[in-house]
Amino acid sequence: MKFNYIRFSKVLALFFILFSCVENEPERPLGEYDSGILIMNEGSFGANDGEVYHLNPTTGTLKSDIFEAANGRPFAGLLEDLIYENDNMYLVANTGKVEVVNPGDFTSLGAVTSGLDQPRSLTVNSGKLFISDYGPYDQNYGTPDSYIAVVRNTLGGNVAKKISVSRKPEDMISFGKYILVAGSEESKVEVIDAEKEEVIKTIEVGGNPSVFYEAAGKIWLYSTGLSEVYFYSFHLDNFTLATTNIYPIANATGKIAFGNDDIMYLLTSSGWPDYNDGIAQVSVLGPELNPNWYSGSGFYGIGFDKNRGELYLANSNGFQGNGTITVLDENGSELRNLDSGRGPSGFMMR
Amino acid sequence: MILFIWVISLFSQASEKLDTLALQEVQVSAPAFERFGQGQKVLSWNTTQLARLQNQTLSDLLSEQSPVFVRSYGPGMLASPSFRGTSAGHTAIYWNGLPLNSPSLGQSDLSLFPLIAVDHASLQFGSAGALVGNEAIGGSVHLNSKIPFNLSSKLLFSQEIGSFGQSNTHLKWSRSWKKTALQSKYYRHFAENDYPFKDLSLPGTPEKTQEHARVLQEGFVQDFSWRIKPDKLFKSSFWYNRADREIQAPMGSSTQDLQKDESFRWVADYEIIKSQSQWILKSGLVSEKQFFNQSLNQTRQFLLSGEWDYASKGNWSFHMGSRISLIKGELSTYSATDQRIEFFQFSKYQASEKLILSLNLRQQVFGDTFQPFIPGAGLDWKIWKKEEQELTFKFSGGKGFKVPTLNDRFWSPGGNPDLLPEKSWSAESGFEWKKNKLGQTLTFYTLNVDNWIIWLPQGSIWTPQNIKQVISKGIEYSGNTGFTLGQSIWESNWSFSFNKAVPIRGTSKNDASIGKQLPYTPIHQAAIGLKGTWKHWLLSLQGNYTGQRNITADSPKTMAAYKLFHLAASFKGLKMGRLQIPMQFRVQNIFNTDYQAIYLRAMPGRSYHFNLSIQL
Repeated sequence: MKFNYIRFSKVLALFFILFSCVENEPERPLGEYDSGILIMNEGSFGANDGEVYHLNPTTGTLKSDIFEAANGRPFAGLLEDLIYENDNMYLVANTGKVEVVNPGDFTSLGAVTSGLDQPRSLTVNSGKLFISDYGPYDQNYGTPDSYIAVVRNTLGGNVAKKISVSRKPEDMISFGKYILVAGSEESKVEVIDAEKEEVIKTIEVGGNPSVFYEAAGKIWLYSTGLSEVYFYSFHLDNFTLATTNIYPIANATGKIAFGNDDIMYLLTSSGWPDYNDGIAQVSVLGPELNPNWYSGSGFYGIGFDKNRGELYLANSNGFQGNGTITVLDENGSELRNLDSGRGPSGFMMR
Repeated sequence: MILFIWVISLFSQASEKLDTLALQEVQVSAPAFERFGQGQKVLSWNTTQLARLQNQTLSDLLSEQSPVFVRSYGPGMLASPSFRGTSAGHTAIYWNGLPLNSPSLGQSDLSLFPLIAVDHASLQFGSAGALVGNEAIGGSVHLNSKIPFNLSSKLLFSQEIGSFGQSNTHLKWSRSWKKTALQSKYYRHFAENDYPFKDLSLPGTPEKTQEHARVLQEGFVQDFSWRIKPDKLFKSSFWYNRADREIQAPMGSSTQDLQKDESFRWVADYEIIKSQSQWILKSGLVSEKQFFNQSLNQTRQFLLSGEWDYASKGNWSFHMGSRISLIKGELSTYSATDQRIEFFQFSKYQASEKLILSLNLRQQVFGDTFQPFIPGAGLDWKIWKKEEQELTFKFSGGKGFKVPTLNDRFWSPGGNPDLLPEKSWSAESGFEWKKNKLGQTLTFYTLNVDNWIIWLPQGSIWTPQNIKQVISKGIEYSGNTGFTLGQSIWESNWSFSFNKAVPIRGTSKNDASIGKQLPYTPIHQAAIGLKGTWKHWLLSLQGNYTGQRNITADSPKTMAAYKLFHLAASFKGLKMGRLQIPMQFRVQNIFNTDYQAIYLRAMPGRSYHFNLSIQL
């Protein structure tokens, strides 16, 4: 009997050792905001009233100011980007901070509150945060000192290093230990080695690089020009351009939504003096091209719910108060309208 | 009608040249907007009352002692008025009859008017386009210099130190003789504004010390009066003011903006005073520079006016005149000039001892066109008057207007030269009841502002348009009384205001702001003041309640109401020979209330201020 106890305890110990060696983090229970649609409200300049709304598209329930509701304090910034990576939600304020929250309930997990100037976007790589930042304005409102800030903790903290890049970096995408940076003002894509924390290559492209995305097993870049838009794909082994597609779509703003069947929806705005806004439809992998798919005014953000085949179009209403959201079907027919916060500028479909 | 009365005035002027009445007997003391403003409410602060507030600004005065809500972006920062539900550009501000609102911005920063610079202030309520002119839609503020004749020399040096790095220095000298009066003032107000505040933008909302909010303001005022002859008076005032400010960022931002403001203001009046009439010729210049970071904006206004005031031996009084304003703006994105001509005529008829009626008219020529005629009328009717008490009924109605600002019309890109003037009409009625030392007033008003200009983004360019129409209605109640306790004498005043200001037309039919209270316009406000004097001591307590405010036009988010109390104790009994050494100790925000007037703009908690003056 004694022998059996010893054997049993050895087996039990082996069992615990085996399972303790497996790197299996405990599952985070899903929260209310792990599904549905998050509406980014940029906020009004000088008021720092950016916030996130949550829409449950099944019930139609809209929750306002979910950051403030979860944390008992306002977001207090202009919300530039919302990124879900590394099982965290990152809220990037171009007023100079990044808030890290639990994506399920938006409770605060950490923040980067100093060392930033005008952050635009973020990616997580090699256990670090890489934050694109315009840098400070010079006397002529130029941004000659743009950078990628490195924070060596995915939950925030201090900026450990600033990697100089071309003027006005925007979106970023991670691939292995590499990061591609959309250098919007100088028509460049910079490649950063996240481990070395340095730029290892620069790729020249056309237009103003805006958004990276993945499709058909490749990384793509969407870039806007005055009278045309560009879509580039890259060879990721040597970081050179693989394909270039150019479409005659004028006045694209850089905001894009990805629909079903590889169709993309691009926001356009003629600006001064005609003020015509619109949505163009294009597909790099398919035949679609319709520069005038939808038109109107005051468009400020766009998103697509692939599950329901619905396009979400945000209207800033002139920043006089809160914005509104118009939901369209895939034929451009208006389905319904929703309220939003101030300056609705984008959507995240969870 | 105007021409007819001008003709009469010329003839009457000729006949009065033979009169040799003394100046003091005929000098018109109250300004025209008070004498012809029957049915309209006016709140005034005299030299003594303002002297107690000399370390504060017009922003503090209006926010603490009037129903005007001041949208303050921090201590010493931009402070703009919201009067009876109107916007910052709907309150006209005058100094010795010169309009001070910036012709490019169409509004004023109340923080840039330190009260030491003026001797008298009045707040006129309601649309008074006819009586006052451009921008008097919600009301108007009138700041004036006053230097009496026949006073001995006075020299005052005053130094105040206070919490958060405050240091204010004043030097004031006045001397007047039988025919001449001089007054010189120098002031320097400095505040580091390094006060603690709870930073709501950071995790855990830690207490931080305010940074980048230093304010330096200094200026010089020179007033001069010369009684050339018993019936001729020349007055001139000059005011130089400069402010150098670090612009306090909202919580969550770390902007390092710098703003410098510099203004020269000069006015000269020549008055001919007869037994029943008075001529006033006025000329003035306002030159302003504003550097915002590296950007320079500069405006100049030149004003010339002639006015004639006549009081018949019967029951009629008239006041009429015309005013020419030449404006030049050299802004960072454009240069422009503007010219405005106004004709105005005010009439008052004392129908009986109990009833006074007034009718006021103004015609403005702006650009090349005659703008709509601006009328206003009012009455004061003493319903009954007995030995100890009287009850007066007041009623008035009138129109107001606001010429689009230079920025509205010429800003590049986006300026809209086709904008129409904003226009308003308002009506108010109320009662004034006085019984012994108790006085109470109750006023109801309604105000309709149309063609309200708002800037809207059109693509990436913002451009102004005549879009909104707003109706503002409200009730204002105030009271005051006096009493004695032993040897001490006490005065108390209290007020309450209710305002509902809602757009009835917005950017579209579906504009969510329609029917909702305008942003940063409290529905409820209240104030209470208590002042007691005992021998050389003076104690005063001032309390204010500001109700909830909406942050945006469609009001889903509101800011909490707040109450502020301020206490001051003064002692005037210390003397050393001919020297008087008055002292004041003041506590602002005595309950250390954590509040914001504007969303995420930190405001200071409790602060202590000690003031020592040496008066010779």
